[in-house]
Amino acid sequence: MTELKLPIAMAELRPVLGDIVELGMDLAPYFSVLLSSRHGLSIVVDNREERVTERAPTAGTVLSGFDGSTNFERAVGGFNREEILAATRDFIQGTPFQKYAPQAESERRGDFVTPVQIDPLELSVQEKLDRCRAVQARAKVRDARIVNVRVVYNELNEHAVFADASADLAQRVQRVNMFVIVIVIGTAGEVRYDFSAKSGSAGWEVLNWSDEEIQSVVDGALALLNAERIEPGEYRIITTPGVSGTICHESFGHGVETDMFLKERARAAHFIDKVVGSPLVNIADDPSQPGSYGSYFFDDEGHMAAPTQIVENGIFRRGITDRYSATALEIPRSANGRRQDYSRKAYARMSNTFFSPGASTLEEMIAQVAHGIFLDKWSSGMEDPQGWGIQVTCHYGHEIKGGKITDRVFAPIGITGYVPDVLQSITAVSNVLEMDGGTCGKGHKEQVPVASGGPHLLLTARLG
Amino acid sequence: MLNQIVEALKKRSNLAGWTVRHVRTRGAQVYAVPQGIESQRAVDGERYIIDVLRNTSTPDGSPALGSGDASLLPGEDIGHTIDQATLVAGLVANPVHGLPGPAALPDVPLYDTDLQNDASNVMRDVMDHIRAEAAKHVDVRLTAAECFGEVHNTHLVNSRGINAEQESTQIDIEFVLHSQKGERESETFEAMTRRRVADLNVESAIEDRARYTLDSLEAEAPTSWQGPVVLRQNALAIFMAGDNLNGSVIQTLASAASKYAGFSPWEVGKPVFRSEAKGDSLTVWANRCLPFGSASDRFDAEGLPAQRIELIRDNEFVAFAAGQRYADYLQIPATGAFGNIELPAGKTPASTLLVEPYIEIVQFSWFNPDTITGDFGTEIRFGYLVQNGIRTPFKGGQLVGNYMDALADVRWSSEIGFFGSYFGPHTARFNDLKIAGQGQGG
Repeated sequence: MTELKLPIAMAELRPVLGDIVELGMDLAPYFSVLLSSRHGLSIVVDNREERVTERAPTAGTVLSGFDGSTNFERAVGGFNREEILAATRDFIQGTPFQKYAPQAESERRGDFVTPVQIDPLELSVQEKLDRCRAVQARAKVRDARIVNVRVVYNELNEHAVFADASADLAQRVQRVNMFVIVIVIGTAGEVRYDFSAKSGSAGWEVLNWSDEEIQSVVDGALALLNAERIEPGEYRIITTPGVSGTICHESFGHGVETDMFLKERARAAHFIDKVVGSPLVNIADDPSQPGSYGSYFFDDEGHMAAPTQIVENGIFRRGITDRYSATALEIPRSANGRRQDYSRKAYARMSNTFFSPGASTLEEMIAQVAHGIFLDKWSSGMEDPQGWGIQVTCHYGHEIKGGKITDRVFAPIGITGYVPDVLQSITAVSNVLEMDGGTCGKGHKEQVPVASGGPHLLLTARLG
Repeated sequence: MLNQIVEALKKRSNLAGWTVRHVRTRGAQVYAVPQGIESQRAVDGERYIIDVLRNTSTPDGSPALGSGDASLLPGEDIGHTIDQATLVAGLVANPVHGLPGPAALPDVPLYDTDLQNDASNVMRDVMDHIRAEAAKHVDVRLTAAECFGEVHNTHLVNSRGINAEQESTQIDIEFVLHSQKGERESETFEAMTRRRVADLNVESAIEDRARYTLDSLEAEAPTSWQGPVVLRQNALAIFMAGDNLNGSVIQTLASAASKYAGFSPWEVGKPVFRSEAKGDSLTVWANRCLPFGSASDRFDAEGLPAQRIELIRDNEFVAFAAGQRYADYLQIPATGAFGNIELPAGKTPASTLLVEPYIEIVQFSWFNPDTITGDFGTEIRFGYLVQNGIRTPFKGGQLVGNYMDALADVRWSSEIGFFGSYFGPHTARFNDLKIAGQGQGG
């Protein structure tokens, strides 16, 4: 187990957080302090240039006072003890807290660190750059039509300390990802590209690329030179785990964030304990899932990570919460109160959200499709919790004909539909579980790292 | 501390150049839910960002350049931070490029004086205004609103002698209106980014959204359609300028960085369309000087002064938008960060563009074209089929096509408007777009 080493300024402030909480609770019914530091590194290597840049760091202290109806916060850049003490006094004296008796919480104490085998913080920048160069060198020589291969490496190093009357928690969460992007040019000058990514709450051990994986990206880009636009309409489709995960994320991920219940923005609020999908559908959110990109040990409101069963055998059970919405709705909390960084408020946000695996093999599922589409790769998605619409964009898909995947490629492909209709149409679920890391916004902002995934799904949806 | 950093950088003889930015932000945020004010926040931050250049060499010994960067908070170790950036710069061997030198900076209006003086009160006033305007509409309810106001101050100094400072304000608001009729519910969502409160037009934004919310209660899925599609106001602004998550296709393809990387096939002096243009000719500027434009500034992160760059003139590509690095690589003028999208007024009154029948798209779920190929297949959150004098609301269906092909067959209104990062015609009629709705099968 790696030892937790906090940034120096954060470590120096931690011992006085108990005093700050005590000071805050003189006037605030509930008071907490979060120290949050997020920094990272990006490396880009392509045929023409290399860039090593710092990911815009954030470091600050959030003082939160909650009176049962409003959550007041003062967010201060950095961890200067005197400034934080002064800000606390100023904050609590200047805030009109109402009387409120918060629910007692269990004692939570501990230091936590993401287990890593090859720690990015122990590797030199030179070593990381050389590893990116090696991947790029293996890819760029594979076809004369390649005009560029770009390898993008990102590491996110998050440190957090949380304290309230019953918590003293600290964590280091280490996330890494790497993209390989292959750009090709066709005979008419048309530019096409494909990409693949690896990610995890982990170290460099999850960023190994086989020759087959690299060749697959090259093949994908070249195939797109001959891609067609799909005839819009309803199709039988098979989704890869990445596409399944995006459907899950946009439907029963965003759609069950309970701050959206409070804002009357989520149709799911009317469906608790009701059927929302085929009995094959099981959906969970689990920030404690080892190794997944969206994992953490406690959320930004000091709640300990644990799985939440959202949909069970096609029945919607419960949503994911932040402190405010759980309190207002009088429902149990889950560990999903997350912030983009110290400068933003916490909302109910996903962590690792996924369809649970089923019993079918992929081969059995493909064999069931007389005419349909195999959706290989997602590129984006957008939620619509109130209308319960799905918009997922796939980079491309292959035709399935007579129970076999053909070479015919369509790109891009948009999936749309009404969530319960789409989930009700699922007739087979494969026996694998794969997770894709990514970044999730609340609407068009509030970016947090998440993962989504699942098995392959056989379903019916509108494509265009 | 900025002076200390500058003095420390000047002493580093192994650096080929450097830039340091002192960035300070302060702001206020207010969040509302139906029950009242959910959260109030006051936020501040300060940091120094150091970029350094260092002479290096390629494996065959040719001269090259490396760059590195690092940030520090007030009070942190200056020497150690410069060491970190310098170390990284020494690892990279890119083609040699320079830094911008001092130049006259345009006087671009960027801030709201009231917000500068008291962000907390101004944001509370904006929230009160949103709630009051929403309350005027008896059939709709405000179910969520967020108001952010920030003051940004940047002081930039570089090794070539730039020493410049700018202050700007930014306001981001979101609100959601909800309505219900029997079992049917509807909502509309609005998000805006502006530099000053006066440009928010809260009253008309809520008026429009209230109407859409009520009409949405009657909306059904559309049938498939091929023909004229009209975009107006914010929907057109998002189509042209992209959003916070997705830049625009034009921004990507007109970027010197994209050209250098092989993403952009555009060539100066060549048409931007792959097929014959059938509509009004296209002229586009990238404009960082636009008064109160949400992507405007006096100088960018490298210190390059704001400019208004003609990218496309009468369907022909004129110039790439280029930071100093890519300008040097492609041997073209450095224009700096992209900025706002500006189009000239069209020739046709908007009323003439609304010849029936046509589809008007009011809101996309998320217009996110592939910014390299331009292909899109995007869900329509809400729109109208307009024919025989009747506006029939619909929701759902996908707008399917290619971005540049769409622009090759469009007519622009003679009336213009300002929409944060887009300034140009407020109405566009795309003559032949496809909507995938009900009634086709795979």
